[in-house]
Amino acid sequence: MATRTVVPFGPQHPVLPEPIQLRLTYEDEKVVEVTPVIGYGHRGIEKACELNEYAKNIYLCERVCGICSYQHSATVVEAMERLWPLELTPRINYLRTIWSEMARTHSHLLWLGLLADAFGFESMFMQFWRIREKVLDLLEQTTGHRVIQSVNIVGGLRRDIDEQQKRMIVGVLAQVRKESQSLIKALIHDYTVKKRTVGVGIITKEQAVSLGCVGPTLRASGISEDVRLTKYHAYGELNFEPIVESAGDCYARAAVRARELIQAIDLQLEALSKLPEGEIAVKVKGNPPANEAVMRTEAPRGELFYYAKGNGTRKLERMKIRTPTYANLPAVLVLLPGCQLADVPVNVLSIDPCISCTER
Amino acid sequence: MENLIKIDKSAIVTEGKKLLDAGGKFVTAVCNDLDAEMEVTYFFSSNRGTEMQGLRCTVAKDEEVPSLTGETLAAVLIENELQELFGLKVKGIAIDYGGNMLLAHDSPTTPMLKEKKAEPKGVEN
Amino acid sequence: MPVMLPTVLRNLLDGPATRLYPIQVREPFQNARGHIVFNDDKCTLCSVCALRCPAEAISIDKESRTLSFHPARCIVCEVCVLGCPSDAITLIYKWRTPFSRKPVEVHEARGKKPRTPM
Repeated sequence: MATRTVVPFGPQHPVLPEPIQLRLTYEDEKVVEVTPVIGYGHRGIEKACELNEYAKNIYLCERVCGICSYQHSATVVEAMERLWPLELTPRINYLRTIWSEMARTHSHLLWLGLLADAFGFESMFMQFWRIREKVLDLLEQTTGHRVIQSVNIVGGLRRDIDEQQKRMIVGVLAQVRKESQSLIKALIHDYTVKKRTVGVGIITKEQAVSLGCVGPTLRASGISEDVRLTKYHAYGELNFEPIVESAGDCYARAAVRARELIQAIDLQLEALSKLPEGEIAVKVKGNPPANEAVMRTEAPRGELFYYAKGNGTRKLERMKIRTPTYANLPAVLVLLPGCQLADVPVNVLSIDPCISCTER
Repeated sequence: MENLIKIDKSAIVTEGKKLLDAGGKFVTAVCNDLDAEMEVTYFFSSNRGTEMQGLRCTVAKDEEVPSLTGETLAAVLIENELQELFGLKVKGIAIDYGGNMLLAHDSPTTPMLKEKKAEPKGVEN
Repeated sequence: MPVMLPTVLRNLLDGPATRLYPIQVREPFQNARGHIVFNDDKCTLCSVCALRCPAEAISIDKESRTLSFHPARCIVCEVCVLGCPSDAITLIYKWRTPFSRKPVEVHEARGKKPRTPM
């Protein structure tokens, strides 16, 4: 006769970066049911966006998440710019692309470190975060802050990259690329890592589409879908193809993110070599007109969706945010039943949960 | 906004099923409070994520809207949120939190409606 | 194992990767946003900084001709620096030292020294 126990996983757990509770029902070490309980980080940001003048919303929406902060900033600014609509110069688009890819680099290095930590491989976690320090120093030298960059304004940017900074960035990125390659080889080809991730937490192709998954979680199941194919910012002029794996297990998701890390560094180097001349800000006339606009970008975790509605005054009528982990959370309800007790942290971490994004 | 179709609330499930069967994916649902009624817009994406399609319907504040969770489990979190923050009545959600998903027991109810004023609290030092 | 060997040898021979803070302090970068400083001689109490601050860290009292600044609320976003028409606010690249009680700076516009109760 099997015994059933209910164990709360979270909200405090060493492997989770943010608080979420999963009530797991076990039958002798095998998970049978899971009930997610969220709401530990709800701050009411959508309502607060209606209090502020439109220009102050950038500083509020940047702080929805600390890791994908640049993509939130670029998406909210572009959603508001589409209300007029404003015409941007090519230099603005290229610089936003470079900083977006820099944010993606530091986010994937963070996740690879957390994956190593989930197995107890702590020294690999520290090696990845030592490389990440170089990328954070780059962000500080070019934008002013390490984590919350505050460099976008409605109509363009506030900081520029000159020739000397460009040479410095190219040098640091080449070093980061070399060191990441050698660490990724040590992690991905390791026998223990493969034993714990291959065949664990499989999401099939049909399940991924019907559950609404986005980002690397979707691309690891064999579907070639990426918001960067809509050619926003400067992605239309760069050499970009989505990275796809077909196995759908935790190992495939780790491999997609590791390859995207190297692709992000290559995209930055290509955009820096093609950077055009021009102004970094355009003039904005008047209040946001009574109009609606939608903007989607590819955050490190998936598709980020912002909807803005103006009404002719300085305050916006409505701002709606749909973050990528919000779309990936139903996949956890399908991944976990049927797996062993020790596989639960690895499965939850493999969708890259950012719970402060989910709850805003 | 391009690609927006106005439908009646009885056609939500059938139109949504048509878009999903054609290879699309559910993205999200946006609710707007137009003082006398509520306007719900469902967004779907297709063609490798490059195209968006919107379905918009207008309901009175106490009317019931059918749930899309029968067709796709991706809609479960957003429909719970609409129920909790806007007071929109959604019938037949697959996993129903009953108003306890994001808000606590002592939080104000349906805070996103326009009549609930968002007052800045005044920051202590 | 041979893949990690260069990293292991480098870690063994190079010494600690961390700094002995607060004995060794890293010099901040010139472009970094550290903290902001007000200049009383140039301030005309036009209130542009107070209206634009996203964190409500600046408040203006026109009757007593003072400007109160709460450094603990400031997010160093630089909007006030770029918006001031009389160049009365400067951005310094060094960060503030930690404080045990949150201070309030009160500045009197036009020429007097600032009084900072600590």
